[in-house]
Amino acid sequence: MKTTLNKFDEFSRRQFMERVAKTALGVTLLPVGAQVARAAAEGGSAKRVIYLFMEGGMSHIDTFDPKTGATKGASDPVKANAGSGNIDFLGGYMPKLAKQANKLSIIRSMSSKTGVHESGRYIMRTAYEPRGTIVHPSMGAWASHFKGRIEGVTLPDSVTIGNGAHPGAGFFPPALSPIPITNAASGLQNTKSAIGDEMFTKRVALMDEFDTAFRKKFQSDDVKAYTEFYDETMKLLKSKDLGAFDISQEPANVREKYGNSGFGQGCLLARRLVENGVRFVEVQAGGWDMHNNIDTAMTNNGEMLDTAFSALVEDLEAKGMLKDTLVVLGSEFGRTPEINENAGRDHYPLCYSTVFAGGGTKGGFIYGSSDKDGKRVADKQTAPEDFVATIAYAMGLPIGEVVMSPSGRPFTVGHKGVPVKDLFV
Amino acid sequence: MKRNRIMLTGLSALVMASASAFGADLRTWTDVQGRQVEASFVKMIGDDIQLQTADGQFHQFPLARLSTEDQGIAKKMMASAAPAVEVSPETPAVGTGITGFPYPKEGYGAAARQVDTLVAKGIVTKGNKQRAEDGLPPLKGFNPAANDEQFVRRVYLDVIGRIPSYEETMVFLKNADPMKRTTLINTLLDSEGYASHMFNYFAEMLRVKHNLEQANLQGDDYVNWLRRQMDGNRPWDQMVKAMMVAEGKMWTEDSNKADGWDDKGAAGYLLRDAGMPLDNLANTLTVFLGTDVACAQCHDHPFAEWTQMQFYEVASFFGATKTRTRDRNQGLMGEVEAMVTESGQDITRLRNGLRNYVQANSYAVEDVDMNDMKLPHDYQYPDAKPGDPVKPKLIMWSDKDKGNPAYKVSKGDSEKLRQSFASWMTHPENPRFAMTIANRLWKRAFGVGVAEPVTNIDDPEASANPELLKYLAEVMKKVKFDMKEFQRIILNTRAYQSEATTEAIAMGSMYFFQGPQLRRMSAEQTWDSYMALVLGKPEAYKAPLSDLYGKSIDLNLNNEKLTAKDVLIKYSAYRQMADKQRALMGGGLDAAGGDSMMMMGGEDKGGMAKEEPAAAAGGAGKYLSYGGWRLLRASELSQPERGGHFLAEFGQSPRSLIDGGSKVGSVPQVLMMMNGGAQEMLTNRQSLIFRTMDKVTNPADKVETLFLSVMNRKPTLQEKDIAKREIGTHGEEGYSSMIWALINTREFIFIQ
Repeated sequence: MKTTLNKFDEFSRRQFMERVAKTALGVTLLPVGAQVARAAAEGGSAKRVIYLFMEGGMSHIDTFDPKTGATKGASDPVKANAGSGNIDFLGGYMPKLAKQANKLSIIRSMSSKTGVHESGRYIMRTAYEPRGTIVHPSMGAWASHFKGRIEGVTLPDSVTIGNGAHPGAGFFPPALSPIPITNAASGLQNTKSAIGDEMFTKRVALMDEFDTAFRKKFQSDDVKAYTEFYDETMKLLKSKDLGAFDISQEPANVREKYGNSGFGQGCLLARRLVENGVRFVEVQAGGWDMHNNIDTAMTNNGEMLDTAFSALVEDLEAKGMLKDTLVVLGSEFGRTPEINENAGRDHYPLCYSTVFAGGGTKGGFIYGSSDKDGKRVADKQTAPEDFVATIAYAMGLPIGEVVMSPSGRPFTVGHKGVPVKDLFV
Repeated sequence: MKRNRIMLTGLSALVMASASAFGADLRTWTDVQGRQVEASFVKMIGDDIQLQTADGQFHQFPLARLSTEDQGIAKKMMASAAPAVEVSPETPAVGTGITGFPYPKEGYGAAARQVDTLVAKGIVTKGNKQRAEDGLPPLKGFNPAANDEQFVRRVYLDVIGRIPSYEETMVFLKNADPMKRTTLINTLLDSEGYASHMFNYFAEMLRVKHNLEQANLQGDDYVNWLRRQMDGNRPWDQMVKAMMVAEGKMWTEDSNKADGWDDKGAAGYLLRDAGMPLDNLANTLTVFLGTDVACAQCHDHPFAEWTQMQFYEVASFFGATKTRTRDRNQGLMGEVEAMVTESGQDITRLRNGLRNYVQANSYAVEDVDMNDMKLPHDYQYPDAKPGDPVKPKLIMWSDKDKGNPAYKVSKGDSEKLRQSFASWMTHPENPRFAMTIANRLWKRAFGVGVAEPVTNIDDPEASANPELLKYLAEVMKKVKFDMKEFQRIILNTRAYQSEATTEAIAMGSMYFFQGPQLRRMSAEQTWDSYMALVLGKPEAYKAPLSDLYGKSIDLNLNNEKLTAKDVLIKYSAYRQMADKQRALMGGGLDAAGGDSMMMMGGEDKGGMAKEEPAAAAGGAGKYLSYGGWRLLRASELSQPERGGHFLAEFGQSPRSLIDGGSKVGSVPQVLMMMNGGAQEMLTNRQSLIFRTMDKVTNPADKVETLFLSVMNRKPTLQEKDIAKREIGTHGEEGYSSMIWALINTREFIFIQ
């Protein structure tokens, strides 16, 4: 049997890359997070991004790439509002979004190589396949790396809302990690100290005193990361905008509009956060792994998505923020066009859809297409790398720029993917 | 090494400071001039001796400065205490172990000796070769031996999943028996905490949940089954086989009682992934055989030689196994809905609940006559066509496997397919089965497997220490898959009882086990350690038994005589039980806790914790609660806990992926450590830490008690000074501040 990829080739490669990096031009071998003057990257109409991540694998046919033939599924496609460009129909579970289709841009020609949840999620967040030797950064961390923390903003750069595993800052410093909020309704907990500011500060100093010997003895990255999280937390506690994490400050009718689901309330929290200067928010929605009874499952999850996504787009537009806020929807893969013996659909990476709204995208626009049954990409195949590069392009990140990891390996945002510039005005 | 020649003069003050010292390893040393100091022996370095005083300081000076008598004692100690071991580059003889280390006389001692021999050999051969390539200095052998304070904290965390209480710490430290470590290991392995900690490990690995994704299906009986396996220390091969061959619903009574075990609930393994047999199989191979073939589900494995055909051939062993029955489902629901409407009730309000109830009963493992495993419709290789039927065939890892007795298992007819697969997989001679669990349990003790990742061993020869890996697999077979016996061996090695490695270890680089790696506590270890600080021995508190679900939900869909009326009557009974269970399991309590979980004050403030007797119906459960938290060990709580709970914030696995827990830090975690309910609970004047401190009066003794309670070690001299200052400025409040500060240190949350 062949040995798998050499898992322990790090060091020889590192030495090689360090030599290369020292001599080659166009390579930044900088301490991560450092700023350099660089030529203005293209794109950049999106100052903020809300990434809606459908965990489990969202059926493309039942949502954004409806079919009428043998693979149609239980519900009939619903007609998009007049004036929605080349979007004619959405899946039958998406009636509210069908009314907003003039704001949506859909890629119907996504295709990936992995039908495994874990790696599918990872590549849709990082543009890289998971490896045992490194963790790649997610998009919020890439943005913080290139653009730095936003001036005058006291909240963190990025936030995730949901319970799923996330690559976070990857090989960038822990300070660039998104803050995970597991439950939108409870927001960020424990921000109030019962002992008063003065005592609190004293206790933190006492902690550092007691911990000196240990931190000196164990110089591991994990220990240092924790210390950085303590520093980050202290900074955050001084923020005047902590209230942004509290959705109970929203009027009841607004909360209802987003739907009474964790995901819906998460979208509302995301809106509050971007309003207060957070740059990148990911909102996760589970329950898409519909191997059984997909009609029942879609009735529930479809309603949840339709309500929250449409409310979010509408709300952002009403506040005048949609033009520079990109809302993007992705999933690890699609689901089989054929309905299986359990009345469900299984994993299907060969052909699936992603959706964009705002942030300089056209709206009422379909890019690429699948064949008549949604089985194969018919036109303009788009890989996860291209999808991630498109988000980077929207934010104006320098897509070709090589960044070295601390272990000396070269990486680029979007992993050499080609952004789909057609989506943008 | 920097030589720090410290004179003993002036150290007599230290004797005073440590007058209440009690560590068995502390003794009074006398120098040639008759001056004395109380210190523990660390090691000999050439002609020097190194001692550690009670404040934690190390002192190194020429041995000749000590009295003749003490020189002799030091030499003896050097021989028996096994300080930093230097290993000669020559291959040590089999079973030599490490000279002077107190291996137990029993058989497991001999095995521990051999493990050490192999680890030592690996360090100086493959290890140092690799380190030279990585530009790291060579290792001479193991890290220095962990001292008693480090050892007691680590072994409690590793074996029973929590830090020791003050009392437990003191009993160990005061014990003068040279075999006290072995004795403690044995005690811990036989304690309730061991089963609890093992449950957490396997629940995470097997993705055990109370609320499964499908319909309204609850995994209660699967959870309970796993608990029983851990409580009774069932051999791993039997346990795995039971999961592979289980039949019926998750709550179907077990009539076979294979090996004398009640396997009600074991069907949960296959039902956990009902409707996804291929994913389930990929998980099976990954978890039990350390062979990751998930890619081969969709195409040939890109790196290893697994083909898509091979994957489907193995899957074919499950081709005649169904996880859903669909018999009368649909028709019956129509009748039920009509009956509800007829009775004047609103079916729209009841429909979902009724459907879920009936559907939950359609999840059952059944074998049928027809093996319908077929190649996928997009099969793209020339050896067969899409949709072709696939015959079952076992995988081999090398040509040597052809003569392996594991492959001689009978093929059997279609109804016995799963059984023959299970017999092959769990066979002691299966090329990967024993090795995979041995490698996993090794990782549990050292923080890293001999072969990484543990989910894909691939080529054992490419692992950090192939000889060790093979020996561990042999040991696993020899102890007949008794995981407790296996761990007894590992825990008694000098390798394990070394100090944790202090150097930074690059991600993905090979590690050679000079000692355990520094590890962050898991979410469960952190929570359970808090419980130890609050309750002393948290194992004394148990959640009420939760078998109500399985008892009330059962409905026989295959019964031709089942009427819509029967369904409604049973459903109504189920609803009543479900309400009762919610109250019992704290579902209602948790929901009510929600946002108020962190609220300070209220009725909890005065009393330390209020006792909440469980409702009468469930069992003997009795537990305390505080601010909406049920003060029970993680294994007794919901599997997994909901988002926002302490456990979820600290990275408890959501149980959707194998080994899905996380040890990565985050801002909400830090906030919880700083301002959360746990802090309130521990710094409260009524807390167990304070009550233990109240047993002594002198502030210095109080500080020592505080340190021993929270960190399981005595304070250093500097720390004593800091403490004095704190109490001087803040009085009583100073103690609360110190508890707060210590729990927030990295030293607290990382396992040395």
